[in-house]
Amino acid sequence: MLWYKAWLETRSRFLTCLVTLTIFSSVFVHHALHISCLNTLPCSEKISSKFTPEFHRLLFINQQYVVIIWILAVVLLGMGGIVCEKALGTSSLTLALPISRARLMRVRVATGVFQAIALGVVPWVTVFVISSRAGMPISITQVASYVLLLIGGGLVYFAMAILISSLVSGEYTAPALAFGVVLLAAMLFDNWLRRFNVWRLVTGDLSIDRSTFLLSKHLPWLGILASLFFAVLMVLASIRAIQRREF
Amino acid sequence: MTNEVVILTHALSKSYGRGEAVRGLNLSVGRNCITAFLGRNGAGKSTTIKMLLGMIRPTAGSGTVLGKRITDAEANRQMRQRVAYVAEDKPLYGYMTVEQTINFARSFYSDWRIDIEKKLLLDFELPANRKVKSLSKGMRTKLALLLAFARHPELLILDEPSEGLDPVGIEYLLRTLVSCSAEGVSVFFSSHQIAEVERVADHICILEKGCLLMDASVDQVRQSYRRIDMVFPAPPPEHEFRILGVETIKTAGRQMSIFASRNAEAVVERAQDLSAVSVEVAPVSLRDVFLETVREN
Repeated sequence: MLWYKAWLETRSRFLTCLVTLTIFSSVFVHHALHISCLNTLPCSEKISSKFTPEFHRLLFINQQYVVIIWILAVVLLGMGGIVCEKALGTSSLTLALPISRARLMRVRVATGVFQAIALGVVPWVTVFVISSRAGMPISITQVASYVLLLIGGGLVYFAMAILISSLVSGEYTAPALAFGVVLLAAMLFDNWLRRFNVWRLVTGDLSIDRSTFLLSKHLPWLGILASLFFAVLMVLASIRAIQRREF
Repeated sequence: MTNEVVILTHALSKSYGRGEAVRGLNLSVGRNCITAFLGRNGAGKSTTIKMLLGMIRPTAGSGTVLGKRITDAEANRQMRQRVAYVAEDKPLYGYMTVEQTINFARSFYSDWRIDIEKKLLLDFELPANRKVKSLSKGMRTKLALLLAFARHPELLILDEPSEGLDPVGIEYLLRTLVSCSAEGVSVFFSSHQIAEVERVADHICILEKGCLLMDASVDQVRQSYRRIDMVFPAPPPEHEFRILGVETIKTAGRQMSIFASRNAEAVVERAQDLSAVSVEVAPVSLRDVFLETVREN
């Protein structure tokens, strides 16, 4: 039932973000179809070969916007938990249950990870299905790569939100701080540490071919693994912080 | 009280910076008893309870609840399987309905009593499908109590359980506490409502500024505590009455009032030796005992 609690706690945030991302992606495909019609006047059933790189560029742009919304979503999903419950006055109910604090955290993190994966997969599946039906040149490999980069590279943002929500109490303080850290990290990495910029990793900027706008077959696995490693470290630090914290 | 204890602490202390919330607390709560934990606001009652449940760590000292060490996380978790706790502010998840809350709590305890759950749901007139956040304070208190009673725990720890309840609810609560105790559940509860405490408690502990001032059975308090009002032909010498058991002495002209925890007979004898015009010995209420005890300190 801890899973059920975690779901009830986050479902409105999750569903709102899922609907937003899905609608955004659908609008993107509609926009792409509109462009294809302009390019191939009169609008033919067969998409012009000239349009293929343009469509791939649009997919790449779509990923940039999806990443922005997805990061906002996972930071929001990472909020809450027992420290927030302390601010709301419900932590003593949770802590009186015969369960360890580590288990509480594990369930919360696992629920969040599943939701983050769904938020990455569903919009891109929507893009793939609608584009395929409209005869757009979209490949499952490209879609899978975008999803992999988004989730594999981006879970570090979720872990950061979990860590902040484990250290900072206050219903609004923790999300404000988390969004501040996201912005600060983006500026810091963009200006001084471009090679290690998670944003470039997640958006596909590090692996895109600028002439075809196709993602390289050789994905930046090292970057993905490093990002996942830091995510795991932050989750472990969060669990430790919760175990040591007084309520 | 039986010799067996459910809560035992030794020199338990908790400090926040320079402030000491609990100081060297040696508490012993007997099995199958209703023990009231009394004290003014900020006396350290809730801090003590939170230390017992592992929510905060003691600065010094040790303690066990149902034989499990409170500072050992795993032992504390095992202990919580057998203990029901209702916190002072009756915390509940606002996003759940009454039914969801009950189902959620039930899932953690194999010995959950469905019969008690259904009875209390009916008696408390709790709307199963209503969201907790839209319940009144009294309803929330009732739901929190339902969750605790339906557990049928070995030990019930209640922090201000009657707060927010109407007189009918309070009466129901007190009766339920007595019946729980009769069924072998040990009850440890804090309260500011001393009249309620006097009705149901077997044992009282008074905490003041983090120190335990009194640890006695209610019967013992009733039998030994006395107020002795005396009138003398001339202003009486106070020092004559400073004997064992005399807690406070108030003198106003020829009148003297003594609050004694024991030895009332010796006080009366002295008064007669000093040719008292009148001597009245009256039993005192728990409320008076509490007020005198905390005032004295």
